[in-house]
Amino acid sequence: MTAEADCAGPAISVEKLTFCYPGSELKALDELSFQVSAGEFVGITGPTGAGKSSLLLCLNGIIPHFQDGKFHGAVKIDGCDTFDTSCAELARKVGSVFQDPEAQIVAPVVEEEIAFGLENLAIPPREIDQRIAESLELIGISSLRHRSTTQLSGGQKQRVAIAAAIALKPKILLLDEPTSELDPIGTMEVFEVLRRLNREHHLTVIVVEQKVNILVEYAGRLLIMKNGRIVCDAPPREVLERPELLTSVGLRPPPVGDLAFKLKQRGLYPGALPLTVGDAYQGLSECWADKGI
Amino acid sequence: MSVVANYIPRDSAVHRLSPLTKLGWSFLLMTLSCFFRDPLVLAGLFASIVLVALAAGILKEMYPVFKGLLFIAGLFILFQIFFISEGKTLFTLIPGTGIGRVTDLGLLGCLAMGARMIVIAASFPVLMGTTQIKDLVVVLVEKLKIPYPYAFMFVTSLRFVPTFMQEMDQIIQAQSSRAHRLDNKNFIKKFLSICPLAIPLMVTSVKKAERMAISMETRGFGVGKRTNLHVKQFRAVDAAVCSGMAAIGIAMVVLHFRGILL
Repeated sequence: MTAEADCAGPAISVEKLTFCYPGSELKALDELSFQVSAGEFVGITGPTGAGKSSLLLCLNGIIPHFQDGKFHGAVKIDGCDTFDTSCAELARKVGSVFQDPEAQIVAPVVEEEIAFGLENLAIPPREIDQRIAESLELIGISSLRHRSTTQLSGGQKQRVAIAAAIALKPKILLLDEPTSELDPIGTMEVFEVLRRLNREHHLTVIVVEQKVNILVEYAGRLLIMKNGRIVCDAPPREVLERPELLTSVGLRPPPVGDLAFKLKQRGLYPGALPLTVGDAYQGLSECWADKGI
Repeated sequence: MSVVANYIPRDSAVHRLSPLTKLGWSFLLMTLSCFFRDPLVLAGLFASIVLVALAAGILKEMYPVFKGLLFIAGLFILFQIFFISEGKTLFTLIPGTGIGRVTDLGLLGCLAMGARMIVIAASFPVLMGTTQIKDLVVVLVEKLKIPYPYAFMFVTSLRFVPTFMQEMDQIIQAQSSRAHRLDNKNFIKKFLSICPLAIPLMVTSVKKAERMAISMETRGFGVGKRTNLHVKQFRAVDAAVCSGMAAIGIAMVVLHFRGILL
């Protein structure tokens, strides 16, 4: 690690984080420890009730500032302990997008929705105007600027929510099942946007998602959670190599990866396991060409 | 609700005025309508509202609102008029019996009451039709010093009306698909049949509110001083219109106390 990187520290550092909701002895999060470096694209998956959403709420400071409960351990965002940093200060570092696009849109017009956070942080009006244009452009929804938020489709609403989070220029973007109400095309579109933000703008992306096949395709690192613990922390290809990791927590391995894994066990698939249909096609073509098919 | 409080986009001089000027106009009309009891003067005030709507180019949209107000005022007069017995009898509904007696004072009084009600109620939809809510909120917060959370609450409640309507539709569908009957003849049973709709709606609303609060929190709501993207300037035109309105208002009140306008 270089001296500079050492000084900057990890984007997110979680140490022995334990959290219980009030009135419950069950640990929603159980001694979690992990670090995320700046610029990573991390996918978090796991069965319902594994603690994925609670973990995100710890990363944006809602826990412990807004949600009561027993909180142990430490969460550091960009070197700041969330316990000592207010949600509003964290809002400058961490953008959050939630599951229900309907409930997170507060303004009647798209433009005002994007402006909401900026106005709260007392950004000068001229800069707000500029940032609205930038973030809408970035998400590819400039045409929606003056539309009424109630008339948007689910996918459009979700992208407006992402634009509203991006407008605050955070270093880290947290998304809690951002595609739960979207069709497959809408899901892809949202993930394409996330990939572009991650690659071109060096944004650290943490996304909770049940759809493992899409996470495998886009994330550079997968965290699999169960009962408030991380049971696996590995790049997607390694996860595909051990499908029992997914099945043991009740998730289905992505069909493409699973097929290639089974073929590979019989020596019928060469090289690394494919993450997309395109990868698989290429791998199989090579293999069959070798065999003269 | 949607008709009364909807913004109607037009490019008119009235739309371009500062929300403060329009609020002042609305307030002036309310004040004046309390001074006068001559139905003709009140009708004149109402005519001025119609003229403003015409100038703003929203008369067509306002027409059903005004019609509704006239209807309600008519009902109001009808309910009141037979109960005022002072004054000279003009006519009775059933001649020779004294049932449904209408007196001159009663007629004038009721007409004044109805007209006053219309004047007070009619300026509001014109104000909302020509002013964007965000501009109104900025004025309420910046100029009239209403705390931002309250103004915010007002805007957001309007934003959530369609959401809750949708929610309600879903609940009705869900409950009627499980043989819940809504079309009960018995009034008490009908009232009770609302509970299985109201309770889920309340639960989802509270959940939505909590999620919204979390989303607001992550975007720095209530940190302290905030800025506004759009601020409608109070221009020279506004100053002119305001002083004009003040002059007319004062003149009318003076004439009233001199006994010329009643």
